[in-house]
Amino acid sequence: MSRRFIVEPRGLAPWWLKLLIPIGSVIAALALGALFLAITGNDWVEVYTKMADTAFGSGRGFAETLVSSTPLILTGVAAAIAFKMLVWNIGGEGQLMFGAIAAAGVGIWLSSSTPAVIAVIAVVLAGAVGGAFWASLAAVPKVYLGTNEIITTLMLNFIALNLMQYLVLGSFSPWRDPEATQFPQGRPIIDNARLPEFFHRLDWGLFIAIAVAIVAWFVISKTRSGFEYRIVGDSFDTARYVGIKVPRKVLSVFLASGAAAGLAGSILVVGILGKMDPRSLDLGLGFTGIIVAALARLNPIAIIPVAILMGALNNAGPALQSIGVPSATVKILQGAILIFAVAGEFLIMNRIKRPKRVADDVPAEAEVSSA
Amino acid sequence: MNDSVVMLTIVAAIGLGTPLVFATVGEILTERSGILNLGVQGMMLIGAVMGFWATFQTGSLWLGVIVAMIAGAALSVIHAFNSVTLRVSQIVSGLALTIFGTGLAIFIGRAGSDALVGRPSRAIFESIFPQSLIDIPIVGPLIFGHDALIYLSWVVVGVASYYLFHTRPGLTVRAVGEDPASAESAGINVTRVRYIHVMLGGALAGLGGAYFSLALVPSWQDNPIGSAGWIAIALVILASWRPWRALWVAYLFGAAGRINFTFQTLQINIPANLLAMLPFILAIVAMLILASGKRGRLLGAPEALGIPYSREER
Repeated sequence: MSRRFIVEPRGLAPWWLKLLIPIGSVIAALALGALFLAITGNDWVEVYTKMADTAFGSGRGFAETLVSSTPLILTGVAAAIAFKMLVWNIGGEGQLMFGAIAAAGVGIWLSSSTPAVIAVIAVVLAGAVGGAFWASLAAVPKVYLGTNEIITTLMLNFIALNLMQYLVLGSFSPWRDPEATQFPQGRPIIDNARLPEFFHRLDWGLFIAIAVAIVAWFVISKTRSGFEYRIVGDSFDTARYVGIKVPRKVLSVFLASGAAAGLAGSILVVGILGKMDPRSLDLGLGFTGIIVAALARLNPIAIIPVAILMGALNNAGPALQSIGVPSATVKILQGAILIFAVAGEFLIMNRIKRPKRVADDVPAEAEVSSA
Repeated sequence: MNDSVVMLTIVAAIGLGTPLVFATVGEILTERSGILNLGVQGMMLIGAVMGFWATFQTGSLWLGVIVAMIAGAALSVIHAFNSVTLRVSQIVSGLALTIFGTGLAIFIGRAGSDALVGRPSRAIFESIFPQSLIDIPIVGPLIFGHDALIYLSWVVVGVASYYLFHTRPGLTVRAVGEDPASAESAGINVTRVRYIHVMLGGALAGLGGAYFSLALVPSWQDNPIGSAGWIAIALVILASWRPWRALWVAYLFGAAGRINFTFQTLQINIPANLLAMLPFILAIVAMLILASGKRGRLLGAPEALGIPYSREER
């Protein structure tokens, strides 16, 4: 590899384009969804009105939207910080679940007289540690053996899912409520470890999630370690050249990513669930986090509004059944949003000569300026 | 003899492994051309629902198969466009395909007043040989006891293997997957090769999905395929991108899907969830063992897998 090292000027996209692409993706997906709904004989205006009304139309509805958004902020941050450094951690699902297992384990084990502050902190942190541990099972082999983390994190999702189900549905482990004899369910954690609700079902977990996103943004864009991190994300070779220990960097980001996903699990445990409930933790929150991260263009601050949008969709889905429309509609919309957003990256990475009427002439006539 | 636990397990493993064979061979073809498609789960589900729908409407199983393959290939075009034409992240695009396809499949199964969900199949693939042949000890169930799609899967494996390793177009595909720039300068149309093989992968994933809805599961459910699409992606690595190996690892995973039942018969009690973990643990362990050798070379991963290729940047 004696290729000369050429620094290609990555055409910096104007800020409005970076904003336009995600917004355009959402609009395009909604338009496609409307078309699809119309073709299948549904009244798309009614469907979208119902969705908006459910998600934002009342205090209670908005609280539920924020409740749905909270874990997505964290799984979104988890995906974003990893993807930015080309660590393809798609194991947010498993890390969230193992985080919940660890959190519930500590929350059950603690004496019920533990002071609330200590109990909450212990249980929440246990989730982060659990998530980081689960990520390490893929991170360590990646860094030291070069195994493909896409596959290992994917496999670990299924292992965590089965482990979680085993602990509550398949055995009489300490995680299972001994009093629930008829239908197995998780054993409640101690009351002192629960986060108080302050607005309908909304609890302080939302602010923990937002704080994590802000901290992630701050570390990445304002600190020396974040600067090194961005160098590694741009080019492993450059990073090595300036003396950054790339493997250690990759390992620490991978673990931080797992910790963020694990935190999503523990916040569900100390928040709305109060126990490790296998059914409520197997909702694809890790994968939805990847949509959130992609749509937010891996920017931790942008993740917050995007997670609220995705949370709104998740919240609105079940309500559609009352008007005879499958709740899978929101899944189609989420998938379509992601497809448009990822395709839109092309416009951001490549300079196009005629940026007006973006949506129409992307594919065929896109003229790439050869810088 | 044919009723022994071992025989029943092997026969069940072949059945349960067959959708994985189709999907895995499809993904091998796609990845051999240098494109990673994580949308297998979505393409399989679309194939499953469209195949079921077509057979439900017409009563024709083979029409269902064809519709399923077309549906899978059609969905895969989105990924081909994103990854080959636009050259954006193949990983995110593939995930998007899975999410979109999953949503679409559930929607199609539930849309309208006469929704498919819960309805029994109008027809189902069954063994094609007479019972007298199937009753032959050992050979009978193993060779004659299958439905047409299982034999088709063997043909697909044989053809794919021959195609990749013994024909000129197959050599072309591998060249594109290893070093697209050199392939291009040798006059190969990289874009066309990649589009074709992403779509072949989509068609086979659709067929694999249809095997669930037209042979294994006799009624429509929201998700009749479980996590088969994800498993297929792992099997590609375990099969080290070789179709024949894909057949064996798919049957191994098929056996793992059945082993729970087998153990119950033998009065061995291992919790179902722990057994369900086994194949995934196995996959990770196998990857670790393979990785500690000579890295990717030993595995046979295409050199340019997942790397966008653009002519301008050569």
